[in-house]
Amino acid sequence: MNGRGHVRFEQIVKMHGNFKALKGVDFDIRPAEFFALLGPSGSGKSTTLRILAGLDAPTSGRVMIDGKDVTSADARDRDVAMVFQSYALYPHMTVFENIAFPLEMAKMAKADIAPAVQDAARKVKIEHLLERKPGQLSGGQQQRCALARAIVRRASLFLLDEPLSNLDAKLRLETRAELKKLQRSLGVTAVYVTHDQEEAMTLADRMAVFMAGEIEQIGTPAEVFTRPNSLDVAAFIGSPPMNLIPARLAGGNVIIAGQPLATTRADLSDRNVTVGIRPSALRIGPTGLPAKVDLVEDLGDSAVLDLDCAGTRVRARINHDDIPPENSSVFVTARPQDIHLFDPDTRKRI
Amino acid sequence: MTAKRLRIAAVIAISLIFILAWMFPILWSFLNSLKTDKDVLAYPPKVLFTPTLEAYRDVLFGSASILPNLVSSFIISIGTTVITMLLAVPAAYALARLRFPGKRFAGFYVLATQMLPPVGIIIPYFLVLRGIGWIDTYQGIILIYLSFSLPFAIWLLVSYFEDIPFEMEEAAYLDGASRLRTLWRIIIPQVRGGISVTVVFVFLNAWNEFLFAVVLSGNTVRPVTVAMYNFISVEQTLWTKLAAVSVLAMLPVILLGIFAQKHIVKGLTVGAVKGGGRR
Ligand SMILES: Nc1ncnc2c1ncn2[C@@H]1O[C@H](COP(=O)(O)OP(=O)(O)OP(=O)(O)O)[C@@H](O)[C@H]1O
Ligand SMILES: [Mg+2]
Repeated sequence: MNGRGHVRFEQIVKMHGNFKALKGVDFDIRPAEFFALLGPSGSGKSTTLRILAGLDAPTSGRVMIDGKDVTSADARDRDVAMVFQSYALYPHMTVFENIAFPLEMAKMAKADIAPAVQDAARKVKIEHLLERKPGQLSGGQQQRCALARAIVRRASLFLLDEPLSNLDAKLRLETRAELKKLQRSLGVTAVYVTHDQEEAMTLADRMAVFMAGEIEQIGTPAEVFTRPNSLDVAAFIGSPPMNLIPARLAGGNVIIAGQPLATTRADLSDRNVTVGIRPSALRIGPTGLPAKVDLVEDLGDSAVLDLDCAGTRVRARINHDDIPPENSSVFVTARPQDIHLFDPDTRKRI
Repeated sequence: MTAKRLRIAAVIAISLIFILAWMFPILWSFLNSLKTDKDVLAYPPKVLFTPTLEAYRDVLFGSASILPNLVSSFIISIGTTVITMLLAVPAAYALARLRFPGKRFAGFYVLATQMLPPVGIIIPYFLVLRGIGWIDTYQGIILIYLSFSLPFAIWLLVSYFEDIPFEMEEAAYLDGASRLRTLWRIIIPQVRGGISVTVVFVFLNAWNEFLFAVVLSGNTVRPVTVAMYNFISVEQTLWTKLAAVSVLAMLPVILLGIFAQKHIVKGLTVGAVKGGGRR
């Protein structure tokens, strides 16, 4: 690891006219980390990335790269490489010329350019396509060409704005894995924008969850998954999404559909809460909340049940072996440590 | 099968009619330019005759040679084209990228200038040029031509520039290219087709222009379109010479057309598809 590529955002605010696209964003990205910016559409991920790249200036706040304040530095002086969602390949140049372009601009000697281009192309497995124009490549090949153009310069920071969103599902999975390997082998810092929570969960070392121009939570995928900070994060992460049920907390139990469910929070006084339970945390058992099975979605190795718990709709993801028939009556329950409690007013975790 | 054949035959027949209608004046000029003065007046018109290059020799090397006029036409057309493109390319690029109040209106203004009947503005132009002593000069005619060709060229080019996604420029910028380099290496190569189309149109407009030239030129600077007119007089029309000059004047147009055919067809269709989506 080269130790380069440390990023720090301090209180970044971005206004578009009167609209606050970013409301004071803070984060730290460590060298060689794979950092994902995750959030729903319009939450400010691209805006953050563009400010980091130097394509847009923040309204206020500081951007630091490797300890230097680059807030007002030119994009060209920041040593960042970026892969755009549209790839932005130069259509009139061959793949070779596309990959060579950043080196040419950096005034690299002609003799050194060809081997560097070959090397980058080999890393993303397009060395046999160097003579083609971008228009003669498939979507996946174009994506690789854009990757090669970004890695050829060995920038310390590698920015990717939804680079996989134009690929079909299968290719997306393959490329995802290769992207991670590539980042590991290059040892560069990667900042990765996506609205696909699964992509962020599988790729990122750590991630920042954006909601409406603010970061709701920063942490490893496991941390964010197991301890979501707020209702919004809880609802956004995980598929199918977490069940969120309004309920009353009384004596350390939550009362759902008239039935008590034990929690770990016996310390709290009685109050109204929103209960969060992941579909995978629900089990079918001999006791618990009575529920009617409305619908069974069989996924092969598991199944997702739509349950009716005395009027509340709940989804459960269960093992393939014990699928109850549709319209049957079952009991569901969850372990105390799998029950998340949120304040319905502040929407924060309690 | 027969229906399909019939349709193809019909298409070919209709195309032939159009081609003949289009070819007739060219053919007429070409044939007459090869006749003698006696043959050209024969009635009924002679289809079979002994061709001669007499007329060409006269108009090129005779006492009233039109060579200087051809040179004038070239200077005016090339001058207009070069200056137009030098100004129009950066201007169109800026227009395509900038958002400013009145942009829509600017587009309309350009179109409006193209719709004005030229006769309406020829007198004020004449007065202005006379005022600054530029009647019968290259700079005078080129200046007037620029007033038409520049807005037209900018308007034509803007849609090509607008077609290039902004991300492309940002990518080049992150790759370390300056703005000028981005324009030169990334943007302009992608609008080559549009530039070719514009060059052809501007050049041809200047080359074919007659009305302004006849008013604003004189004995020093007289383009071939005006000179051609001298072969028609009250006493007689020198048909063979007129035809020969016509052919000579048409030659660059046809050559340019053939040369730029690929670009023009592509450029026009691209422009047409895009035309609806102009922002
Ligand atoms: N130039 C602009 N002018 C006005 N508003 C803008 C501009 N650019 C972005 N915005 C607004 O800022 C907010 C954040 O935009 P941003 O592009 O960062 O979202 P995002 O998280 O990348 O979303 P997506 O997943 O859809 O790409 C959005 O509400 C958007 O409408
Ligand atoms: Mg975005």
